[in-house]
Parts: sequence; structure tokens; C-alpha cells
Amino acid sequence: MNALIAIGTTVIVVLATIVFATISVRRVRMSPQEYIVGGRGFGAVFLWVLLAGEIYTSFTFLGAAGWTYAFGAPTFYILAYGTFGYILGYFLLPWIWAFAKERGLLTAPDFFAARFGSKWIATLVAVVQVAAVVPYMTLQLSAIQIFLNIAGYGHVNAHLGAIVSFAAIIAFVFVTGLRGTAWASIVKDALVIGALLFVGVAIPLHFFGSFGTMFDQLLRAHPDHLVLGSLTAPKGSLWYVSTVLLTGIGFFMGPHSMAAIYSAKDANVLRRNAMYLPLYQLVLLLVFFAGFSALLIAPGLHGTQVDRSFLDVVSRYYPAWILGFVVATGTLCALIPSTALVLSAASIVAKNILGDLFGLALDDAARLRVTRAMVIVIGLFALGLWLTYRTTIVALLLLYYNGVTQFAPAVIIGALQPRTSAWAVGAGIVAGLAVALPLAFAGLAPYGINPGFLGLIVNALIVGASAWITRSASPA
Amino acid sequence: MLGRVRFILAAVPMMALSVAVPFVNRVEPRIFGFPFLLAWIVFWVLVTPLFIWSIGRIERRW
Repeated sequence: MNALIAIGTTVIVVLATIVFATISVRRVRMSPQEYIVGGRGFGAVFLWVLLAGEIYTSFTFLGAAGWTYAFGAPTFYILAYGTFGYILGYFLLPWIWAFAKERGLLTAPDFFAARFGSKWIATLVAVVQVAAVVPYMTLQLSAIQIFLNIAGYGHVNAHLGAIVSFAAIIAFVFVTGLRGTAWASIVKDALVIGALLFVGVAIPLHFFGSFGTMFDQLLRAHPDHLVLGSLTAPKGSLWYVSTVLLTGIGFFMGPHSMAAIYSAKDANVLRRNAMYLPLYQLVLLLVFFAGFSALLIAPGLHGTQVDRSFLDVVSRYYPAWILGFVVATGTLCALIPSTALVLSAASIVAKNILGDLFGLALDDAARLRVTRAMVIVIGLFALGLWLTYRTTIVALLLLYYNGVTQFAPAVIIGALQPRTSAWAVGAGIVAGLAVALPLAFAGLAPYGINPGFLGLIVNALIVGASAWITRSASPA
Repeated sequence: MLGRVRFILAAVPMMALSVAVPFVNRVEPRIFGFPFLLAWIVFWVLVTPLFIWSIGRIERRW
């Protein structure tokens, strides 16, 4: 009975969100510009939810709360890196937007093609981005399975549920494009705030009376949990600093973030959002509180169990319909960001690989058809990958976290120094990946430093040195 | 001159949230019950909009 109520609530909320978003875009005439970057007409609210999309994914509900449970203070980096990214974004995003609008750019690799005048650098970026985005989507499928498992109290085939919901969301992107993602994100974010107020405020106050008491009890039971380890320890202070710098600098480098930037109707919408979005990030505090509460209420969990710690608390102590709402929110946090990811990957394959490289589907009608077809192809590919290689796929995620950021030096130098060559930028990206990925796959973090950050330093040195040489070689 | 002011206004919260953190890595003094490290990070996230707003004013964006 409980399983029926919780799963029923989840299905109704998720379906209602998809139907609402589909109805909201039914009158829109589709073209590649409309489908991929929302016709560059998005105002403050759409940009708000699209730019914040990165913060509230299923990682927020599972990974971040699980990290708070297992490691404590190192998790605080997720409050800091977004804020760091928004400050950088205030300066960088309006420039990227204006550059893209002037030239009618559609995808992230388009930026590299236009800025550095090279089809090959665009192809390199396209391949890395698509390869990075697909494993990220498969991770979302695993998250959905965990959510449905909890909502079904173990009696429901969560595996099948994950497949069905993913197929539904692929069909949804096929029809609606970026505007559908934006509408659905508004519903998702409203639910996220509601769910987090419950798990991050109601649960701690219910069990401990006040946040101060919660911290008192934490300090008694786990004295080292609320500070970082020594400078070079794993997940110690150097790890924190390098991770904030790496992820903060790379905050807008994902292909879906570039599409979100392009979709703005003017530059000041981006500046204003960069100013206010740090406040929105404070909602993540509630995730920390949920993780800390779970650690005190249900101690002793290990391994992957920590990811579901606070959901287990909800399922054990609260009625099924509340669990249903929390699980529905988590499921939307997995599904809706997936729509932005699959759309950006599909547009990259259609525009940069099939279009620019092979000269296929060049007019608007054909490009729209091919992009939609690629949504289906990449969606099915991600699904197939998940069904066959579920456990090993997690390692590929390192490509997302360490790989996408390596585009940042190129974008920043592209804004500062007009004559930087495509070769320098390409060499920087390849060198950055060559340093970061082997270390990351081997699980090595020298002196506790995040390997992606080491790659970023090598990358930035190459790009910076070449920019300096080209500047001094020319008579300014 | 204005360029330098804008640079400082951007750099201060960025540094406070990254490289300054190892120097405030402690539990005491507790702020409203929060451990000091967490209170420090929350404080800088809260005031960052004021810094960005000031930069926007200097650039006459609003």
C-alpha cells in the first residue's frame, strides 16, 4: 500500500511536469535556432533555471547528501564553486553571448570554430564534449533506479521504471527542444525548494530541535567531520582549494551551459542572473543539513549506501506521500538535466560533425530533422550503455568532471587576446586532458590536489605562453 | 583606475571562497551554532551579490 502511494505520487508529479511543459511550447514554430537555443529569446526566469540547472541535478539529492554523510566538510566546496563560477560568469557570459549572437552560433564547438578559425579544433571539442556528456546521462539513469527502488519499498521493478521514464523524457526532448527543458526546469526547481525545505529544515528541527543542537551532537560524535583534513590529506585543504578553482573556472564549460548562454535575449539578463544566483545556491545548505541529520539518525552506513541515507530516513519516519514527493523531485532532477544534455550532444553531432565536417543536412529543415533524430540516437545509446556496462561507466564520469573544464583557458584567452592560434589552444586542451585523465582514472591526487586542476594548470600555461608570444611578436 | 577597482571587487570573494579557506579551517568560534568554516563560506556566498552589484554600478549596467 505504501509503495503504491509513493510510486503513484512520483508517477503523477513527473507526468504532470512533462505534460505541462509540452503544452507550454505547443504553439512554437520550430527551427534549429528555436529548437537548440530557444530562438535567443529567453528572459530572466528561463535563464535563471537553465543556468542553475547544473546545481540541482540528482547529484544534489544523492551524491551531495551522501558526501556530507560520509566526508562532511569537503562537501562544502559545492557552495563555493558555483559562486566562484558566477563571479567569473558576470564578465565572461555577456562576451560569449554577444560573440555568439553576432555570428549565429548554435553549439559550443561553433564557438571554437568561429573564434580560432579552425574546423579541427571544433571537431576536437565536439568529440570530447559528446564523449563526456553520454556517461553523465547514464549516471542519471542509475540515480532514477535508486529513487524508484526507495519509493517502491523494494517491491517495484525499478530497473524497468528507469528505462520507461528515460524513454519518455527522450520523446519529450524530441518534441519540445530547449524551451521545453526551460519550462520543465521551472517546475523542477519549485519542487526542489519544497523538498529541500522539508528534508533540510523539518527533519533536523523534528529530531534535534535546532541546528545548533544538531552541530553540537555532530561535534560530539564525529569531532573531525566539520573541518577539512590537513593540507595534503585526501580531500584535505589543498584538495578543497584545487577543486573549487577547477570546478568554478569550468562552471559554464559544459555544452548545455553554452547553449543556455546563447539562449539569452540580451547581455544584462546574464549579468543580473550572475548577481542573484549565488543566493539560490544557499539552498544547498539544506542538503548538508539533511546529510548531517541522516548521519546522526542512521549512523554506520558505508559505500554506496550513504547515497540513499537521508531518503531512508524519510521512508522510515514519514508517510508514503511525502516520500513520493521527495522521490518525484529527485527523479525530475535526474530527468530534466538529461534533456539539456541530450539536446546539446545531439545538436553538436548534427551541426559540427555531420554538418560542418561531412557537409550533410545544411538547410534549416534538414538540420532540425537530423538534430531530432540524433536526440533519439544518443538517448538510445546512453540507455544501451547503461544496460550493458552499468558498473564500469562510473569511471567515465571522470571524463566529464576533468575533461569539460579543459576548455576554459581557450574561452578565457579567446575573450582577452584576439590573435591566439588554434594550434596553441588545441595543444593546451590535449595536454590538459593528457595530464588529468590518466591521474583521475588511476585515482591519484598528488599532495591531495585534484588531478583535473593539474591538467588545467598545464593547459593554461601552454595557452597563456602562446598568447604572450603572439602578442609580443606583433607590433600591437 | 576603475578597472583596478572592478578587479579587486571580483577577486576578493573569489579568493575568500578558495585560497583563504585553509586559513579559516576550524570549528570555533561558532557563529549562530554553525562551525566557523561553514559560517565563513555561507557569509561570502551571501555577500557576493553585493560585490557583483557594485561592479555593475561602476560599469553603469544598472
